[in-house]
Amino acid sequence: MSSKQKGANQRLRQRTVWLLIIILAFGFGAVISRLAYLQLIAGEDLQQKAVSQQLSDTTISAKRGTIYDRNGKILAQSASVWQVVLSPANFKTDEQRDFVATRLSEILNLEKEDVLKKTKQDSYYTVVKRKIESEEQKQILELMNEVEDKYKLSSVIALLDDYKRYYPYSELASSVIGFTGSDDQGLSGVEYQYDEYLTGTPGRLVTATNANGTIMPFDYSQNVDAVDGNSVVLTIDETIQSIVEKYMKKAIEDYNVYNRGVCIAMDVRNGEVLAMATVEGYDPNDPFTISREEQKKIKEIDKDYLLENGYLTEEDNPTQEEYDKLLATAKSEAESAALTKMWRNKAISDTYYPGSVFKMITLSMALEEGTINQDTRFNCSGAFQLYDKSIGCHYSAGHGSQTYAEALCNSCNPAFIQIGQSVGEEKFWQYYQSFGFSEKTGIDLPGESDDLFFTEDGSMGPVDLAVASFGQNFSITPIQMITAASAIANGGDLVQPHVVKQILDIDGSVVQNISTDTKRQVISDEVAKEMRGILEQNAIDGTGKNGYVAGYRIAGKTGTTEKLNDSNGDGVQDYIASYCGFAPADDPEIAMLVFFDTPLSGNYYGSAVAAPVFASIMGEVLPYLELDAQYTEEEAVNVDTTAGTYTGLSVNEASKIANTDGFNVTIKGEGTTVMAQVPAAGSKIPTGGTVVLYTDDNSVTEKVTVPSLIGFSVADVNYVASQYGLNVSLAGMVSSSDCTSISQDIAEGTTVSPGTVITVTFSSSGVND
Amino acid sequence: MNQLSQHTIDRDRRYPDRRYSTTGASSDRARTDANRHNNGHRHKKKFSLVSIGKGLDVPFCMLIVLLLAIGITMMFSASYPVAFYEIGDSYYYLKRQLLFALVGLAIMLAVSYFDYHHFHRFSAFILGVSYFALVVVLLIPSETGIHRWIGIGDYGIQASEISKFAIILFLAHWGSRYYDKMHTLKYGVLPGAAVFVSTAILLLLEPHYSCIVIVALLTVIMLFVSGIRLRYLAIAGVMLAGAILLLWATGLLTYAMDRMDGWGKALEYIDETQWQQTWQTRNSLYAIGSGGLFGLGLGQSRQKYLYLPEPQNDFVFAIVCEELGLIGAVAILLIFALLVWRGVVISLRAKDRFGKLLGIGLISQIGLQVILNILVITDWLPNTGISLPFFSYGGSSLLMLLFQMGIILSISRSANIEKI
Repeated sequence: MSSKQKGANQRLRQRTVWLLIIILAFGFGAVISRLAYLQLIAGEDLQQKAVSQQLSDTTISAKRGTIYDRNGKILAQSASVWQVVLSPANFKTDEQRDFVATRLSEILNLEKEDVLKKTKQDSYYTVVKRKIESEEQKQILELMNEVEDKYKLSSVIALLDDYKRYYPYSELASSVIGFTGSDDQGLSGVEYQYDEYLTGTPGRLVTATNANGTIMPFDYSQNVDAVDGNSVVLTIDETIQSIVEKYMKKAIEDYNVYNRGVCIAMDVRNGEVLAMATVEGYDPNDPFTISREEQKKIKEIDKDYLLENGYLTEEDNPTQEEYDKLLATAKSEAESAALTKMWRNKAISDTYYPGSVFKMITLSMALEEGTINQDTRFNCSGAFQLYDKSIGCHYSAGHGSQTYAEALCNSCNPAFIQIGQSVGEEKFWQYYQSFGFSEKTGIDLPGESDDLFFTEDGSMGPVDLAVASFGQNFSITPIQMITAASAIANGGDLVQPHVVKQILDIDGSVVQNISTDTKRQVISDEVAKEMRGILEQNAIDGTGKNGYVAGYRIAGKTGTTEKLNDSNGDGVQDYIASYCGFAPADDPEIAMLVFFDTPLSGNYYGSAVAAPVFASIMGEVLPYLELDAQYTEEEAVNVDTTAGTYTGLSVNEASKIANTDGFNVTIKGEGTTVMAQVPAAGSKIPTGGTVVLYTDDNSVTEKVTVPSLIGFSVADVNYVASQYGLNVSLAGMVSSSDCTSISQDIAEGTTVSPGTVITVTFSSSGVND
Repeated sequence: MNQLSQHTIDRDRRYPDRRYSTTGASSDRARTDANRHNNGHRHKKKFSLVSIGKGLDVPFCMLIVLLLAIGITMMFSASYPVAFYEIGDSYYYLKRQLLFALVGLAIMLAVSYFDYHHFHRFSAFILGVSYFALVVVLLIPSETGIHRWIGIGDYGIQASEISKFAIILFLAHWGSRYYDKMHTLKYGVLPGAAVFVSTAILLLLEPHYSCIVIVALLTVIMLFVSGIRLRYLAIAGVMLAGAILLLWATGLLTYAMDRMDGWGKALEYIDETQWQQTWQTRNSLYAIGSGGLFGLGLGQSRQKYLYLPEPQNDFVFAIVCEELGLIGAVAILLIFALLVWRGVVISLRAKDRFGKLLGIGLISQIGLQVILNILVITDWLPNTGISLPFFSYGGSSLLMLLFQMGIILSISRSANIEKI
């Protein structure tokens, strides 16, 4: 062996050892230290990042709480529905996309193009349609199976839980209840105000998923249950609300009211709002659809409209494209304005001049301050001269010399200017504040407006004071007015109005009771008592007598407000007709404010428009509240009696019982047994009314045509009705000698069975306020 | 000379007369080398086709089987979700890999009986095959613009697999034949450099940069242990730096640069393109980090659920780290280290210079690939496609690997090591 060979082998050995050291020590050493760094030091951070991509965190929506009326009737409720979701990234071919898009658009009634676009997105989650109901859901499930069978695609379409809000009474109390948006969030009314209670806490489903978003085959999920929202019990009484809305709607139509009407009924003792209606309202089941009328108006938007509303000036010379764009803008703005108007709760968001209704406040101030007494006389010559300004009274002949009680019953402006002057600006402002007009009532509804007084600090000039004394030229909200009136009714306490009574958890246990909050006593019990007496007198034979309800002690005050503008553009100044009162006058429970913004039927007086509606509503609400009626002798004649069951009896027997019940009997037909009766058993018939008993088939078919019963006195109406074999139920102001019938519930020309009861409403035509 | 080398030389002197002469396979290295040196030409030696020698090295063999068992298990664990989701058969990769492993083990055993000296004769031929394959692969149309595979359908081989082996074999052959001239530039450096540069140019055209790196390192290792002067290595290093600069300037590194854009920044969001490019590396880091010290447990990887693309290939070790933790990863690296160490021991005790060089070259390739693979999956090297021996899925590369292990076992048969 040569030395060269030895040297070469030795070098090879040495260099191999070096190589081994380099590979093992440096190479493997570097690799291991790198792994140690990544797994031990950076491990936690990396693991977190890994977990965050591996875990799919699905929100489980909580069921929104129910809204009940005070008696547990459901006003708003959420029900389970579904949403259809696509994972378009899982599609493999365009043919699959087309198939799914075609079928989905058929089932869900969508444009195929829109769905096809969604199937082409590079995402694992895109919502196709929300809130689908069980019928569509079944079809989607079938489609999912079909897609799975046909293309082996299991993770393309998914159905997720969703909830839909239902309002079983549709329009009823819509401005109070409000509505929810597409994400189940409250957008208006109680739905908005109590959103945090109603919403509940969404749950989470954390699952491990693969990169395609489907669940990994091992157990790795955590479930945090959703906590359903609490329920809310309103102070609103569905029955009272229904009565209110029924009469309000009719009046809106009858008096052709331009700017909607408001009615608030409130428990004077605790501020619970029993009914609050803004009519016309909207259907919270479909809150984004404006009325046909408004739709038509928007459709008719044209160049003139653009010019009038400043979208365009005469000098502009827009291209067709610009013009179309302007038109679209105008239309969309008009539509959102219409929506805003429709949703607006006029009872708390709109301000108005309270008008003569405010006289009850002015008089309360003066009596509380003792600036006037029984002997103070107030003269009215038909107008009041203040410096160079003449302020007229609605009775231009003049009321002459009056006491303050007479002045209120006359609703005499000159007298109230004098009463206001006796109080003075400073005290007037003080009481204005203490009656709560200068602050929001704090009612638990969104969108309450502030008042608008002459000045921020309450200072005002003599003319301001003069007109303010009868409620003109300062603005308050209807809810402020009824809250102040309630203070007079309940003995002087200004209570906090509220619409929510209780909050219940999902088991129905009370989470929170909303108790009565009395803010302060604003007038003494004595003054309140005296005011109640005067207002009751006003409702019996004063300007407020059209608000009278037979058998009940009503206190009330009319109001006719000059709006100083002309919203509908008919060239006539706008008025608000209102009536505010409470009952029973000796121990008031319920106060109610009715007002109509801009009645266009010709008569705009509160006494003529609002008072009869007040009476109609109270006439149904007071018996519902189980308040006993006590009729005067005169009234007793007109009181209704409940018809008994006379069918199945022999003619003789039936006649006898009906007579004993206080009815006259008319027998139709030749039979011996009563087959049918009109009015039906259980219905109300005026005492002394007629019950028609039918004894054979032929007689049942006999009909009469309803005549016009409007414009007559009580006696005349009774006479005409009896000629036709119809019964009349009297409503409204009937005790006054000058009352005339103003409406009938079954229209002239309708064919009805003999004996049918027609309710005829009377009103005193002698009052204009 | 220490005792060990003394021993080797003694053995070299003894063997041919006693043992190999009886089998007709005279391979007395000392004598042949002496003859060649003295006579200026080489005698043709006859080797028998089959050589049992003193038996193969059982520890090395067991380490291979152990690594293969662990490797296939982990490859299966890493691959069954993608196999299920993408192919519909969870066992798709396992079945194929098992089949190739069995065939490969058979080849390995067969090769171990094959006297490695025959490769002396084949070295030039195999180098030719390598060049041929590298040229052919460029002519095969490719959808991706990357030309690496020769074969039909699923069954093929990367041309570079042949090149790596061809270069090791050629340099072992050259280094043993001209052992006494290796210090010269002409014999020591130029042939190796020529083979490397020519191969590298063809690989550049594929392009397959990671393979160039491996081929470069293998060339350097082979020349280093063959005994070239260190100053030539230093010069080569300088030239390499210059070459890279040149490539950089000429834009030939575009593809690599593209891949390197997000290199080392897989966890940072730079832009959407980079974020997408580093997706695989980032999810590899997530997987490794998720493992911690003890791992999530065998089969419990979450990253293999389509987050880490192709977890059965180059990034299989990331799933190993996730499931078995640092402890499992280090244990596997220790087995690799043992394999390398044992391979080096076998090589050093090979009875001739060719065996020594060939064994060192082949075992170095294993060590290099392990190191480079893990540096890639840990974002210390650009993601350029270096598979992990015994672990990564791939039939042809596994066959090639076991074939090469067979050669080391063949060397072990005649090496002077204790047999169990």
